[in-house]
Amino acid sequence: MAAFWTRFWKRRKGARVPESPHLTDGLAQARKSAYRQETEFARELYHHHDLPLYRFSVTRRALWQALGAGFLLTVSLPLSGQQEDAVAEPSPGKRLSARFLFQADAPLRVLTGKIEMGQGARTLLSQAVAEELRLPVDALQMVMGDTALCPDDGGTWASLTSPQTVPAMRAAAAFARELLLDLAASHLGESKPALRLTATGVAGASRTVLYPELAAMAANATPPATAEVTPAAEWKTLGQSVPTLDGQAIVCGAKRYASDLKLPGMQHGWMVRGPHYNSKLAVLREGPKLPEGVGVVRDGDFLGVVAPTRELAAAAAASLRPIWRGVSLLPESRLHEEFRETAREPVAQPGARYPGLITRGDPLNAFWSSPRRLESKYSLPYIAHVPLETRSAVAEWKYGQVTIHYGCQAPFLVRQEVAEAMGIPELQVRIIAQDSGSAFGGKQRGEIAVEAARLARDAGAPVKLTWNREEEFTASYFRPAGLLEVRSGADEAGRLRAWEFHNYNSGASGIACHYDIPHAWCGYHPARSPLRQGSYRSLAAVANTFARELHMEEWADILKEDPIAFRIRHTADQRLKDVLRRGADAFGWGRAVRMAGVAQGVACNLEKDARLALFIEIQVLGAEVKLRRALMAFDAGAALNPHQLRNQIQGAVAQGIGGALFEKVDYLDTRIRNARLSRYRVPRFGDVPDVEVLLIDRREIPAAGAGEAPITVVAPAIAAAIHRASGHWLRDLPLLPALDRIVNPPPPAADGPKA
Amino acid sequence: MPRYELNVNGKPTTVDVQPNTLLLDVLRDHLDLTGTKYGCGEGQCGSCTVLLDGKARKSCLVAVSQVGQQPVETVEGLQRDGKLHPLQEAFLKHGAFQCGYCTPGMLMAAKALLSETPKPTRDQARRAMNGNLCRCGAYGRILDAILEAAEGGSRA
Ligand code: FES
Ligand code: FES
Repeated sequence: MAAFWTRFWKRRKGARVPESPHLTDGLAQARKSAYRQETEFARELYHHHDLPLYRFSVTRRALWQALGAGFLLTVSLPLSGQQEDAVAEPSPGKRLSARFLFQADAPLRVLTGKIEMGQGARTLLSQAVAEELRLPVDALQMVMGDTALCPDDGGTWASLTSPQTVPAMRAAAAFARELLLDLAASHLGESKPALRLTATGVAGASRTVLYPELAAMAANATPPATAEVTPAAEWKTLGQSVPTLDGQAIVCGAKRYASDLKLPGMQHGWMVRGPHYNSKLAVLREGPKLPEGVGVVRDGDFLGVVAPTRELAAAAAASLRPIWRGVSLLPESRLHEEFRETAREPVAQPGARYPGLITRGDPLNAFWSSPRRLESKYSLPYIAHVPLETRSAVAEWKYGQVTIHYGCQAPFLVRQEVAEAMGIPELQVRIIAQDSGSAFGGKQRGEIAVEAARLARDAGAPVKLTWNREEEFTASYFRPAGLLEVRSGADEAGRLRAWEFHNYNSGASGIACHYDIPHAWCGYHPARSPLRQGSYRSLAAVANTFARELHMEEWADILKEDPIAFRIRHTADQRLKDVLRRGADAFGWGRAVRMAGVAQGVACNLEKDARLALFIEIQVLGAEVKLRRALMAFDAGAALNPHQLRNQIQGAVAQGIGGALFEKVDYLDTRIRNARLSRYRVPRFGDVPDVEVLLIDRREIPAAGAGEAPITVVAPAIAAAIHRASGHWLRDLPLLPALDRIVNPPPPAADGPKA
Repeated sequence: MPRYELNVNGKPTTVDVQPNTLLLDVLRDHLDLTGTKYGCGEGQCGSCTVLLDGKARKSCLVAVSQVGQQPVETVEGLQRDGKLHPLQEAFLKHGAFQCGYCTPGMLMAAKALLSETPKPTRDQARRAMNGNLCRCGAYGRILDAILEAAEGGSRA
């Protein structure tokens, strides 16, 4: 099991290192001392990785490479157990690799395809590796999301870092540790237990052997028989609230995002876009002569400007005289009709991460034979990600190859996108994922990388392109709108027995009914969408949880039962019962302050191996809703970093409030009408109550991701509370306009739509 | 091109730019003070908040020609003699960020708040900070940090 493939490269002394644009910046530039050596290994790695010489086993591979200043170890692991089932569709070949660069004169580098967008992956992965190497976290340096250096981890999304990457990293690091200790033991002639790893070598009782010295022995190394990961009870680094590693840079304004980069000779790009969604460039009329040094790039509907400064670029863009054609979008009033008309039948995809059809029992008969039945319809609109840092990319061409710095979530997919658009092989594209000023699923695609690459190709210089806020709304994609139809049946005793759940357009994630209902049919109908749509934090689980939880609330109301008791009665999952019970106690469920319009609401979820319940207290005054306080009870298995986990949970609740109460992309005819922050409301200080977190840390259970699940329970908890406060069932998001339509109905004969 | 003499973080600085160039762009593109961020360009998000004569201003709404002799303070000027400002300390202690993109603007807005109201209540702080967005939703922690700095901070 612990065998590996090994390969040993002699450092080619004196071999000429041709300039390669892939390697002239980024990692290599970051460290001057080992520059040559690194450059060389990196290139070899790039061309030769996954070509092992020896084959010891198929379960784990290691690449082992000597360098003047250190060596690189690549361990590649199959995803095992639960991780195998959890593999994301875009993941390449169900393997995860970890690469470690051990050096004598520099911190240990860990290379990973994951990226940091604020969710704490950098800190968490450092903790995982440090734990297994038995080193302090600051002895490591994470190199993230550089497609030329890092293994393809399939992108950073779906909260896979905790359940998938962390275990893989730990296993790989444990393997590296044992291997190094074995080598050092025979080198130093000391027994293994007396040795320990340090930042630069292996320390024994008598002396320390530096990593490069060990490299030469690696060629003939026998892989360690076992490499146990540290049991949770013995964790020193994992499970601790390690603060964000680059916190100091953040509070000093020194952290550089893609939008902050400056390359020598860099020019500034500016895209010229029409006023319509999907504008087509009809004609570009002759305009005034452009100033010296300003270039225009036109390619089909693509129109952009490159200039030495941003001001010049903007001015030049404004002086162009294009005529744009727009196409009318399907009116919003017809959206649901369109979803139904174009809906495809759900298909079961066994083994998929998010199967589109899940059935059990005989739901149709069970529904019609149920003495009590309920049918409801729910909907939610398109919403935008609104990452605070708008997309930004810097592209540079050299020798027909392009390097792009971009704070994206899926560097390898972006690489593919750029290669396709530019008509060059993927190996001629290098994406260096810069840490991102938040993303929420919105930075998976590479529109801006393609645009920057296109501009830079003509400019013959590095080009930086930063989208403005409006482009964030109009040039990218949205969280899908959705229509959900649910019908269900209960027996005389009020026990649910039939469940039929249709999701149109929004997606399959979280569609399964985790409640104990013997007959169930849950299906996702893909449909045609007038607007571009894509991933959003937690994907369709927001839509599916909203409908499922509100439907449960409706039943509890019909049966005049406490919603928590009702849910507990319908689940066999002890952990879910726990979060409901313990959360209710801690929150003071049923003990809302006695004031007009004040009520409490609850919603829970069982998602991605996490169990969670949100309790919220609100006040409804007319068409206004004030959130007074909230508590999230959360059990995500082992809490790998409790402080960060709380931070993620509170943040997801805050973000969920926007989608629940007021966020909605507004479009009419050919245009998006609210493509700016003064028209598109997102949650502010005053909208977000203090959110207490009750963390249930279960060290014995593998950690589930937590960046996403908490957002799913926000809307149903608020909708439930609004009903209890006002008697109104609001089944369409966002809730505030829905409440307003009831409280202040438009006068029957009013002209035009209400503002 | 006109020349502007500015006082940024206590240092006299000159830039040659058009009069309507935004202070935000001057700081970021011409002075390489990239701690001040762009988020919306219309005064809605507060990522670009700096202090102008001690008052919090959205630098995306200020043209360089309006700055004159008013001292400009940015996040890069918060540290003194290599020591973090109490607000910076408090933000670190409370982990009052995720991606950190809003943090510079938050720090500057908070500094202005504390210089006007040295001991704000939580609700006062919440209201005063309402013009600054954190999309990662670290609001509660940011308030914790501000209140802590207000307690202990002499320089705030
Ligand atoms: S960029 Fe100035 S307030 Fe948003
Ligand atoms: S920390 Fe990401 S926007 Fe505030």
